[in-house]
Amino acid sequence: MSTPPTNPPNTALARFPAEVLEAYQRYRAHGDAGAVEAVVIAAVVDYRPTGTGAPAEMRDDTRLVEDLGYDSVAVAELVFFLEDLFDVTLSNDDIQGVRTLAELRGCVNRKLAGRVRRA
Amino acid sequence: MNPVVTGVGFITPIGNDRASVERSLREGRHGIGPVEFLGNPELPVKVAGIVRGFEVDSPSWRDWSWPGRYDIPKEVLRGLAPHGLYAICAVEQALAEAGLGPPDVAEDPATGLYCASAGSAMLLHHNLAQMRAVRGARGNPMGVVSSIAGTLNFNLAAHYRITGTVCGFVSACASSSHALGYAVDDLRLGRIRRAIVVGAEEMNADSVLPFAHMRALSKQSDGRKASRPFDVERDGFVGAGGAVALVLEDPRAASGRGAAPLATAAGWGQAADGYSVAASHPGGSGLLLAMERALADARVGPDDIDHVSAHATSTPVGDLAEAIALRGLFASRGLRPPVTAAKALTGHGLSLSGAMQAAFCVVSIAGGFMPGNPHLGTADPECEGLELPRATLGRAPTAVLSNSSGFGGSNVCHVIAAPRKITG
Repeated sequence: MSTPPTNPPNTALARFPAEVLEAYQRYRAHGDAGAVEAVVIAAVVDYRPTGTGAPAEMRDDTRLVEDLGYDSVAVAELVFFLEDLFDVTLSNDDIQGVRTLAELRGCVNRKLAGRVRRA
Repeated sequence: MNPVVTGVGFITPIGNDRASVERSLREGRHGIGPVEFLGNPELPVKVAGIVRGFEVDSPSWRDWSWPGRYDIPKEVLRGLAPHGLYAICAVEQALAEAGLGPPDVAEDPATGLYCASAGSAMLLHHNLAQMRAVRGARGNPMGVVSSIAGTLNFNLAAHYRITGTVCGFVSACASSSHALGYAVDDLRLGRIRRAIVVGAEEMNADSVLPFAHMRALSKQSDGRKASRPFDVERDGFVGAGGAVALVLEDPRAASGRGAAPLATAAGWGQAADGYSVAASHPGGSGLLLAMERALADARVGPDDIDHVSAHATSTPVGDLAEAIALRGLFASRGLRPPVTAAKALTGHGLSLSGAMQAAFCVVSIAGGFMPGNPHLGTADPECEGLELPRATLGRAPTAVLSNSSGFGGSNVCHVIAAPRKITG
């Protein structure tokens, strides 16, 4: 194709609070694993369907479907967003076992193995 | 019995509600403004029919904005193309005018949905380019339902939880006239008691510019000169976007709930040119037959028609064919009903065109006026015998013939009548 179609991160994250873009930039510059987690949580909050009840606390064991009201399409959109942002591919097998925030973070981190380092 | 129209809704270059559309039609106020596609000032396309109040240029719905009166959740937005957003806003208006709300149509097996759009070329291009850039490794999960032809019916059916008929029509510039026609038939056959008919299109480089490569677009930069149907100096059409919705009902169902009919969908007809993939038949033969069939279906004669809403897009070939067809139906019998070409004001909304014209007819009947042809300078000599008023006429039509023609020679015509003029 003649033009790069993928949204640059500055555009993709434009709607997020400034600290999310900063976290993403920390990941890019230093491979900061904590920054990846902050971006993943922010994306989960952003892609959460509306009208699905009171805001749930974002804990490790918070479940995407049961607690946050995610449906299969919203999960697919969230995964696509993360794939594009971190330039990874999450297969159906990768996603199938993901129920909670901790599992989602773990899934993304496994894909980023070698690119991040723990503080 | 013939269905009645109980509500109309508009997101158009000449207004985003019935009152503003009526004002624009009465005052001959156009909605055509300057555009520069793809950042290229050298392109010969300088103007288009522009929808105000919406920002939908981005392929991401998260960047869009729209009038605050429409509350649309992100679960709905994520599947929409820009013209789907227009369409929901138009349907909201049409339902409200009909005295209905979304709960009245939700899961009602007697409500049908009849949609027309060409899909979203912009989103299709964006999503496929994104997919190709990563060699197919990933893509937008909503890419298909938001962009292909049918996106309008997929999304509206889900949003309004339509459980009666749901269908889409793709016959280019005759599409929403087809949608209206088949809605009329299903209502007459008793298959449904209420229909929502929607036509919608986007106006952007991807949907409009390819027509410049067919040499079909006007090169003018003055909005008053660019869209000049039937004018001897017309040089092409002006692209436009928007959405129009009509609510049609079985007349007994409408009166049973105390809904006031605005107009009657009295009859329709269609016939094809069998001639060219793009150009109209030079003799207007398919259009003439479609008009005759519409009149026969409505059980009226040419002398009962007191206003014509022409398809006329301002192209040299298309307007000529329609002028010849109209002469054949009316002038040859010594009849001169006023002929209005609304695309002078709106530009050409492609799939949206037929529903937009039909809804303009409803506004004209209910408002008691006939729009004029304010951009018409010198009429093409081929229009000899046609009545083409420049100014708005201050009398209500009782039966309007509304024409549509699309690629491949599809011609679809409707008779829209005053509520009690023709009851069927």
